[in-house]
Amino acid sequence: MIRMLLRLLGPAYAPPLRRTVALMTAAAVAEGLSYALLVPVLRALLGGTPADARPWLIAFGAAVAGYAALRYGSDLAGFRVGTALLRGVYHRFGDHLARLPLGWFTARRVGEVSVLASEGVLQAMGAVAHLLGPLISAGVTPLTIVVVLLAFDPLMGLAALAAVPVVALVQVWTGRSTAAGDAERAERGDEATARVVEYLQAQPVLRAGGRTAERFGALDDALSGLHRAARRSALSSLPGVLGLTFTVQAVFTALLALGAYLALGGDAGAAEVLAILVLAARCADPLLSLAHLGGSARATRHMLARLDAVLRTEPLPEPAEPVHPAGHGLEFDSVTFRQGGRTVIDGLSLSVPEGRRLAVVGPSGAGKSTLLQLIARFHDVDGGAVRVGGADVRAIGAEALMARIAIVFQDVYLFDGTIEENVRLGRPGATEAEVRAAATAARLDEVVARLPGGWAANVGEGGALLSGGERQRVSIARALLKDAPIVLLDEVTSALDPINEAAVHEGIDRLMAGRTVVMVAHRLKTVRRADHIVFLDGGRVVEAGSHDDLLRRHGRYAEFWNLSLTPSGPE
Amino acid sequence: MSPAASSGAGTATATEAAASTGVASADVASTGLGSPGVAGLLRPHAGSFAAVVALQVIGGIAGLAPLLAVAELGRTLLAPGPADHAHAWAVVLAGAAGLLVRLLFTAASSGIGHLLDARVQLSLRRLLAERLGRVPLGWFSRRGTGELAKVVGQDVSAVHPLIAHFPGELTSAFVVPLVSLIYLFTVDWRLTLITMIPVALAVALVPLMMTPRRQREEKELDAGMGRISSAAVEFVQGIAVVKAFGGGERAHRAFRTAAEDFAGTMSRWVRGLSSIAAGMQLALSPPFVLLVVLAGGAALITDGSMAAPDLLPFLLLGLGLTAPVAALGHGFDDLQAARRALGRIRDVLAVRPLPEPARPAEPRGHRVELRGVHFGYEADGGAGHKADGEAGGEAGHGADHEAGQAPGREVLRGIDLVLEPGTITAVVGPSGSGKSTLVRLLPRFFDPTRGSVLLGGVDLRELRSADLHRKVSFVFQDVRLLRASVADNIALAVPHAAPGDIRRVAALVNLHDRILELPHGYDTVIGEDVKLSGGEAQRIAIARALLADTPVLVLDEATAFADPRTEQAVRRALAARAEDRTVLVIAHRLETVADADTVVMLEGGAVVEHGSPAELLARNGRFAAFWRSHHSATTEEAGAGDGVRRGDELR
Repeated sequence: MIRMLLRLLGPAYAPPLRRTVALMTAAAVAEGLSYALLVPVLRALLGGTPADARPWLIAFGAAVAGYAALRYGSDLAGFRVGTALLRGVYHRFGDHLARLPLGWFTARRVGEVSVLASEGVLQAMGAVAHLLGPLISAGVTPLTIVVVLLAFDPLMGLAALAAVPVVALVQVWTGRSTAAGDAERAERGDEATARVVEYLQAQPVLRAGGRTAERFGALDDALSGLHRAARRSALSSLPGVLGLTFTVQAVFTALLALGAYLALGGDAGAAEVLAILVLAARCADPLLSLAHLGGSARATRHMLARLDAVLRTEPLPEPAEPVHPAGHGLEFDSVTFRQGGRTVIDGLSLSVPEGRRLAVVGPSGAGKSTLLQLIARFHDVDGGAVRVGGADVRAIGAEALMARIAIVFQDVYLFDGTIEENVRLGRPGATEAEVRAAATAARLDEVVARLPGGWAANVGEGGALLSGGERQRVSIARALLKDAPIVLLDEVTSALDPINEAAVHEGIDRLMAGRTVVMVAHRLKTVRRADHIVFLDGGRVVEAGSHDDLLRRHGRYAEFWNLSLTPSGPE
Repeated sequence: MSPAASSGAGTATATEAAASTGVASADVASTGLGSPGVAGLLRPHAGSFAAVVALQVIGGIAGLAPLLAVAELGRTLLAPGPADHAHAWAVVLAGAAGLLVRLLFTAASSGIGHLLDARVQLSLRRLLAERLGRVPLGWFSRRGTGELAKVVGQDVSAVHPLIAHFPGELTSAFVVPLVSLIYLFTVDWRLTLITMIPVALAVALVPLMMTPRRQREEKELDAGMGRISSAAVEFVQGIAVVKAFGGGERAHRAFRTAAEDFAGTMSRWVRGLSSIAAGMQLALSPPFVLLVVLAGGAALITDGSMAAPDLLPFLLLGLGLTAPVAALGHGFDDLQAARRALGRIRDVLAVRPLPEPARPAEPRGHRVELRGVHFGYEADGGAGHKADGEAGGEAGHGADHEAGQAPGREVLRGIDLVLEPGTITAVVGPSGSGKSTLVRLLPRFFDPTRGSVLLGGVDLRELRSADLHRKVSFVFQDVRLLRASVADNIALAVPHAAPGDIRRVAALVNLHDRILELPHGYDTVIGEDVKLSGGEAQRIAIARALLADTPVLVLDEATAFADPRTEQAVRRALAARAEDRTVLVIAHRLETVADADTVVMLEGGAVVEHGSPAELLARNGRFAAFWRSHHSATTEEAGAGDGVRRGDELR
């Protein structure tokens, strides 16, 4: 667990954690050793010479003071490191998530990330702050006491020593037997969380479909699954707890009997035997608490492992020596990209010279959006290369690449915050005037003027408080503000009525001026702005040319447009 | 794990338990289990709870036996004269028996407790899900999804100690030390008092930890945790934006800020508590307790006022006075967290669901009538900012801003409208005119604040929701697909649909061939095996409505713009109207408007014009102006296309 904590913390926090662990161990040893002084104290008090106890008692007092200093120090250190860890892990977690390939973020991840970010990180912190200390003490103090026992009464010491391997074995065995159950429970928990999120977000649809909780089987199955896993995991930990308790109690009973036998037989002094039994009781208590602590430790370790797994997921590799692209032309060179076993882009080659505009047209699922994502390197290709300014996007470096690209997405996602914050994402350092100018160009100023709160109006989670058109204008303003040489547009006008569309198009015209543009287009108006059109199907370019060329060809493109313009009903 | 539980002060609150457990237990009973929902859930398990408590207490008391055995053995061995062997062995046996009883009883108690806990958690989650499925949709607007998911997930888990540990462990943590205390008093009252010194010291520190400031910080921590959850959900869902605007340091600021705030509060809280907590830990630590007992005992023995063997029970049981309290420390801390979690669960359970009629009425036919309908979003945003915005209607939120300035503003102002069966009614109007709000009244996303919506002569509020959903289906812009098979997604409203029917509607929306190409055809799980494009998702939504085949269909046509195929699918859905289907559509295409039997022109939440398209054009009023502006916005396309654009001509 410590090793995993060290890895989670990263090198910066490792030395304080090591120091804390050392302090905790020292405190536990000091506690065990201080008990050694109980033997002479009790020998004197019980043996009828209470006056002799005084110096030993003073010594014990001194030992306790030493222990107290160590313990106090280690407690404080634990709190401190725990809090530092909280911050550190959050930073690493956030930064790492931002670097993971987009392909990693499946629907299920929402639940996992949300659990890890709240419960997970807290548990890691709690582990340092108040699990590590007791755990170390529950293991180290009894061991120290056993050593002390060996020194005073080898026979009883040996009897106590016999418990050590058994306790260790039981702990290991418990860990193994519960690991599967715990893992399953965690998995079910994630599944249930993801289902709950889905259930909440899909409420309008579910209600309209008459699916109340009891009729939405997926959620109930997930909850029942979690229940069954929880039962199994509770039951599977029971034998371990019983085994540990039984072992410790059996050894204590054995010591009691052995002590009685030795004392009654006169082989050992009564006072000494009693003192040793007091020590044995001190030994038993922390060991018994191991059962409880062990459970928490396992749960924590499991959580740490999951955090670790996320943090160890490979981000897209960064080039050691980034190449500087020459210009802003784009090129796909026999690019193949597979996702979930399906070939999304299949040996595709095309190029967009600097300052030109390419429109990508095709049926749903043809790979249009993926094409844009590959330029922005949301994923790495499986074959071929995507080049920007002649340089492979993998060789440019994420920061440098992103600095050149402005994207307007199909589904505009805004962050919960004000409109201004969302626009500023485009260029955080922009001046007030620049932000206003971008907003005006995107005709966002009308929206802002209409909103109660204006620039400070909150957009809600995912931008839910704005309408589709308003969200899109925010996203265009954001892209305008970024002022990048390459612009990627994805079905920008999908959710707009014609009047709004005119506003958005005006913004887009400004956005495209003098830039290299790749746009996924569904509307004629968009397509006609392009210098060149490719018709994509099944991840391949089926047709390419200008709008008029393509229409004259009477091929797929022409069919596509006719389909879209012909009413289906009989005239 | 709650912030409180995982903070350093966790252990410290041990003493809080000592100080205030009596209060706490009463408190938990009243605030926590007192709510009807939760208490009702627990009532059937009362027997199990009693068993857990009884077994735990018996086990705990039996656990004293071995310690008493050591003390008794001491008395026997140290007694003057030859030791009584028989008595000594009897004592050893009694101790061993006590340990065995403890082992069995506490294990049984813990086993029953945990199983009980799993059962209770399941019923709590089911209850929450059931309630959340019935609260007004507007209620969701004030809460992030992550925050609510946390209530159903983590908060229910956080109740665990309250169920599995609290009853048994808390009871035995009181009963067992009490038994020890009584016994120790009978041995020597003076040393008993001395033994209590560490506990008293620790208790003295408690007020320092319960300052209003700390409690405020604890509340902040909980709130901060909720924000982190929401931010994480947002972060993952908005990851594409994060990546596009790069600079990991900047784009996910919301998450960072939430985490940073939380860490900041946490450090303040921990800083405030850690030295007190560590001090308390020291006061309760076994070496310190032993030192106090030994010092006191040595004094009493030296001045001859106490027999030496009487020291033993104090050394053994005296620690027990603090040990259960310390053991409870974790527990008590979790318990505080559990109480807060339970509070949040109760808040959710306390939300009033959309009322179901006591005596549901049966609609006759499916003529839809709106009578003097007013609707306004509540001042606190409760009624449905979000549901509205979520649905993404261009008009939806605009309505919100435009229609009213003050809170409680009206989005719909006295709408009277009749939708006859067998007709298509097209709603048109500028952004913010209330179109989206209007159509959302039909599937009862909201209830009108004044006036009524009638279906077949019956107020929607007098219809059972199940009946309503059999009559009304809708396709709005914001399509949520479930992580389920394609077939299940299409058959959402018709769970037992025949596979043939599902295929038929999929073909109608041009999806059949695409679905067959998926890895498992109709059994392909969306979101797992495959991610569908926006247009495909929208076509699935249309297929849903086609399959549901309800007599009333509500449609937002903006959906159509995803791609030509989707557009075509929408037109088919409109064209495939059964003889007497009632259709209400927010029209964006001129063709649709031209095809409609009735056009309703909405402005500022009121109907400004109403009639057949030809009539309205002839009237040369608002609609005609609107028509012309649309017309010019689309002529460029219509003229440029090789295909024929007919919508701009009225037939």
